[in-house]
Amino acid sequence: MSAVAQLEERASVRPVRPRDAIVRYSGIRTWGPFLVVLVLWALISAAGIFPSAFFSSPAEVWERALSLVERGILPAYVGDSLIRLAVGAAWGLVIGILLGFVIGLSARARKFCWPALLFFQAIGDIAWLPILIVWFGFSLTSVTIVIVYTVCFPLIISIVAAIDAIPANMLRAAGSLGASRLQRIVLVVVPAALPGLSSGIRTGLGYGWRALIAAEIIIGTSGVGFMMFDARRQGDVTQVFVGMIVLGALWYATDALLLAPFEKATVERWGMVEGIGR
Amino acid sequence: MNVLEIEHLTQSYVDAYTGDRTLAIGDVSFTVPQGQFVSLLGPSGCGKTTVLNIVAGFVESTGGRVLVEGAPVAGPGPDRGVVFQDFALFPWLTVRQNIVFGLRMQGAGKEERERRAEEMLALVGLDGFGSKYPHELSGGMRQRTGVARVLATNPTMMLMDEPFASIDAQTRRVLQQEVLQIWDSQRPTVLFVTHDVDEAIFMADRVIVLSARPSTVQADIAVPFERPRTWREIQADPRFAELRTELMTMLGVEDL
Repeated sequence: MSAVAQLEERASVRPVRPRDAIVRYSGIRTWGPFLVVLVLWALISAAGIFPSAFFSSPAEVWERALSLVERGILPAYVGDSLIRLAVGAAWGLVIGILLGFVIGLSARARKFCWPALLFFQAIGDIAWLPILIVWFGFSLTSVTIVIVYTVCFPLIISIVAAIDAIPANMLRAAGSLGASRLQRIVLVVVPAALPGLSSGIRTGLGYGWRALIAAEIIIGTSGVGFMMFDARRQGDVTQVFVGMIVLGALWYATDALLLAPFEKATVERWGMVEGIGR
Repeated sequence: MNVLEIEHLTQSYVDAYTGDRTLAIGDVSFTVPQGQFVSLLGPSGCGKTTVLNIVAGFVESTGGRVLVEGAPVAGPGPDRGVVFQDFALFPWLTVRQNIVFGLRMQGAGKEERERRAEEMLALVGLDGFGSKYPHELSGGMRQRTGVARVLATNPTMMLMDEPFASIDAQTRRVLQQEVLQIWDSQRPTVLFVTHDVDEAIFMADRVIVLSARPSTVQADIAVPFERPRTWREIQADPRFAELRTELMTMLGVEDL
């Protein structure tokens, strides 16, 4: 008996391969790909394939970024964009998660909402901007609505899909252990839908972030999107590059600081999903 | 006293595409007295799992009566714990939390849950594994957790739906003996669904054989072996080979 338990225990522990260990601990995994891109970028700009007015070098972009930070423009714009995203995403998450669970759990709600969901999903986020500007002007409200709209749909759809994918026996098990309907929802459906929820949040926030930049380009009074579009108007390619890099870096930071730790502590810890991109 | 009474159970379903009505369970009747371990054996597709699902309250029968302790079955309940082929453990709960899930539903206090969890972990040989998550365990250990989760609340009946079918062959034999030992400590009434003749004999006091669909009870055979049982002894017993041949013939598997 105990010998069997030991054998079984040994079989369940995965050995760490040395190659994995190197990749994991030396920072190569995080910075390696960026280094490659940086080197290629430097080579292309040094080779003079494109005129320098259209293709800035890494050094120029770095200097411009520093000067934008010194003059306080970049921090202010990044701050504006992040606040807009945070406000929009917060509402989007609340509404999306609620609707996702209601539609996922209630056949009646699903029948009622699904056609509308498909219809409105087809009207792309920024396709709402013309009418929103008429209604709410060039305001935070317009931007927020666009982001809420964008965050909601992927969230709702992936929550519904996750609820549908819950193994029937898991719910049966809970029922035969005496769980009421409410207990089944709170104690089984919610945690079992968490992988779908977290991937929905990831997709939703990603879309929301893009919608924000698009909205800033059109509504444009401040923010990273505005900065990029404004720079284009003045033919300032270097500043456009800065904006693009800031966008990528901010998304990377959101993932590394918020999404990945949450997934690591929950759905990955429980073995419900493999690490995403790790 | 009979814990389970099944009277003229029938089950038919309508094919969603063709609209045809199929009779899956023709007419099944049997009773199980308290503390008996009964194997429900039959060819695949004969509806033996459906019988279990109806007893568990997961599926409503289209005809006949199912009584547990004299009361008609209406939905699942903690008096009938179910052990599933795919374990159906909750991956976000530790082994310990899985085991006391039923107690938690009954509103048992934290202290009682802790105590019971340790008892059950010891009983199923998982001491020291209480804080692990199910995915960190082997199949055999997961199913022992599944059994512990059911027995933790002392149910009247334990319903087992091919509980060893997703366990590898070597572990299965060991697990069958272990589960019998565990069962012996509480002796709940068991309905054990399997398609494996050897397993059906080894585990049970009685083997009920269902015919192909629409299924009826084809045979009801008492298993003569004393408990506690081990595979070594049972396999050496000439009555085992006889019983096995008899059941194999009934199932239409005559490779002997």
